[in-house]
Amino acid sequence: MSTDSLRRRDRAALAARTLLAVLGGYAFCWGVIALCAAGTFPLGMEFHDGETLGSILALLLYPAAFLWAFAARSIWRVGAVLVGGGALMAAAATLIQSALT
Amino acid sequence: MFQSFRHAASWVHTWFGLVLGYVLMACFFFGALSVFDREIDRWAIPASRFAPQPMPSFDQVLRPVFESMQPNQASLDQARTLVDGPLPMHWDTPKAWTASATHRDPVLNLEARWETPNARVPDDVVGLRTINPRSGKALADDQLKVGSQFFYPLHHNLTLEYSITANGRDLGKWIVGCAGLVMLVALISGVAMHRKVFREFFTFRPGKNTQRSVLDLHNLTGVLALPFHFFFAFTGLLIVAGSYFPVTDTQLEPLHELHEKMEAQETGLPHERAGVAAALASVDAMVSEAQRRWAAKGMAGEVGALRLTHVGDANGYVSIFRAGTDRIASVSEGIHFQASTGQVLREDPPQTTVGGIADFLVGLHLQHFRHWLLRGFYVLGGLMGAACIATGFIFFVEKRKKQHARAGAQGCRVVDALAVTTVTGMLVATLSILLANRLLPEALPASWLPRDRLEICSFWTGWALAMLHAFLRSGAVTLGKINPAWREQCWAVAVMAIAAVLLNWITTGDHLLRTIGAGYWPVAGMDLSLLVAAGLAMVAARKLRQRERGQKATGADRARAPAGAREAVNV
Amino acid sequence: MSDELLLAGAVLFSITGFAWLALAMDPHWKQVHGSSQPTPRARILLRVAGSSALLLSLILCNRADHATIASLVWVMALTAGALLVACMLAWQPRWLWVLWPWGDRDKRSR
Repeated sequence: MSTDSLRRRDRAALAARTLLAVLGGYAFCWGVIALCAAGTFPLGMEFHDGETLGSILALLLYPAAFLWAFAARSIWRVGAVLVGGGALMAAAATLIQSALT
Repeated sequence: MFQSFRHAASWVHTWFGLVLGYVLMACFFFGALSVFDREIDRWAIPASRFAPQPMPSFDQVLRPVFESMQPNQASLDQARTLVDGPLPMHWDTPKAWTASATHRDPVLNLEARWETPNARVPDDVVGLRTINPRSGKALADDQLKVGSQFFYPLHHNLTLEYSITANGRDLGKWIVGCAGLVMLVALISGVAMHRKVFREFFTFRPGKNTQRSVLDLHNLTGVLALPFHFFFAFTGLLIVAGSYFPVTDTQLEPLHELHEKMEAQETGLPHERAGVAAALASVDAMVSEAQRRWAAKGMAGEVGALRLTHVGDANGYVSIFRAGTDRIASVSEGIHFQASTGQVLREDPPQTTVGGIADFLVGLHLQHFRHWLLRGFYVLGGLMGAACIATGFIFFVEKRKKQHARAGAQGCRVVDALAVTTVTGMLVATLSILLANRLLPEALPASWLPRDRLEICSFWTGWALAMLHAFLRSGAVTLGKINPAWREQCWAVAVMAIAAVLLNWITTGDHLLRTIGAGYWPVAGMDLSLLVAAGLAMVAARKLRQRERGQKATGADRARAPAGAREAVNV
Repeated sequence: MSDELLLAGAVLFSITGFAWLALAMDPHWKQVHGSSQPTPRARILLRVAGSSALLLSLILCNRADHATIASLVWVMALTAGALLVACMLAWQPRWLWVLWPWGDRDKRSR
């Protein structure tokens, strides 16, 4: 019975890490793209170029974040960086946008 | 959770690779076929088997066709879900007309676009037509371009276009997106797992036991084409990144609007219609002027794309782009003319750094260049990717087969049957649509489904039958043996491929001697590829038969036979 | 020189380049020559020759096409060349002997 609960705990942990890898990674990427597009606008970069630059960075970071979600010892640290970081970057992008429009 | 990074990478590679591998097989295989999608179109539509043509006269040939175009039924059906109320019967004010030509297409693709009135979210309806540029005549609507309209979309959205939200489309596109992400993850984790990337760079030992030689092949096809696999997965995702991360249409919409207004002022290309009607000047004269300007820059070339925006309006403008046949960027050097007067409004400036990088990355995937060796290499890369995934499945099954057999577990059996479905089954499906294409008569009775629907039906039916067969024959796996479905489907592939070549001959008269003699390589190449595929399938079937027979040898026989014979049996 | 010849040359250099780099590795040297390892001098020569051939392949690609296309052709030519060498090592290693016929003087394992 103890091995059963161990397996159940493992499965729950793996499920959590999978969600974090997919959704947390997505949130982080969204933040990168938003901040890049908005942040480079006042610097004079063409808007779609900024978006594309963000997309290139994001697509390189996504697989790395994905693997990190499984390899990291602390799932909370991964969550804080991916979800928290993504939210912070997105918020910064919105702030820049409201300053410009 | 995992003892080390390599351990975590190994778990992720195995399980995510297994689940998404089935989707990735389709992406790589149909992606490889898509390299020659227009050539496959020629095989499937005999009426289009003539030489590629440059863009014909807009004024004489294209304008009357554009003026007669109306939205397609499929597009109207999709628009209806976004509109509360009736749609117009007749669509009069097109947003844009676009014509695109490539050096490979004898036929020309035309698109007309209208804004959907009263839509809940901004939307367009589209009308598409394919014409013979020499006469202006349209191809019948139900002639499925098996290559560019079926295999090509299959590889990036599985042709699953169910809406998951009112605004969203393409459930298949999201599945492929996840698969693309997992591909990148699998490449990185695969390298992390493979401790001897350089030492075993050239290692392939087909004579050793199945697990070792399959793993060798998996590593070989993965590592040797690693740049290809990485770049294609990466650029594929980049091309659709705007859909996967619609940041500028949602969170940053205000900034997007601001940019468009600024751009309209800067470029002199009006963002909105003026609401004043205006006649259209000679577009042919504009094309000549564009070609003169390109030649003056030392970049003489053909027209790749032609777009007329704000049709019929005083603010209308014509954009002419150069075909990217000699470089990676798909189209470039756009020159924009005022539609009513033919005056040059703007010549696109040289690309920005980021824009240039984006053009390179997108262009390397979309392949508008004229370079037959590179295209051939791309097919090799795609097939190596498919082989990498297939050997991945086979290794997974081989590694666990014996212990599952002893424990009476069904896991291996299911994985193996699904592997048969996605490897040989996918070939069976591909050949089914080609056979249907040749077997169905040109003109069908009115009560039947349209020809293109029937062809697509044959594809999915063939695949479903292959899957059924694979599962029915999978009992052997529970005994630790090879599933005979692999060999049986190899034979089916060989027979179907040869039948396809024969049917092409019978139904069109274009047999190999004639097409090679005339130098008509789209069709000759297709027939030759089918014959090579049949040959390889037969070799594979024979090898599988040898292995199956070898497995039947009992332990006692194995012990009695000398070492040399045992080696032969293992081959 | 015509583009086709340049590209054919690029592919040939990719194949020979990888063949030489493979021969510099003990197990593949053994497959082709029978003796257990190349001499240290042979190993260095093979590595230099191999890398030079791959570089020459890149140069030929650049002569044939626009730089953006040439870079891709080269990378794919490397993939194709390496694959061919690996297949030859697996099925007909003796064929690669012609590319480096100088076995080392230690003939013990022949």
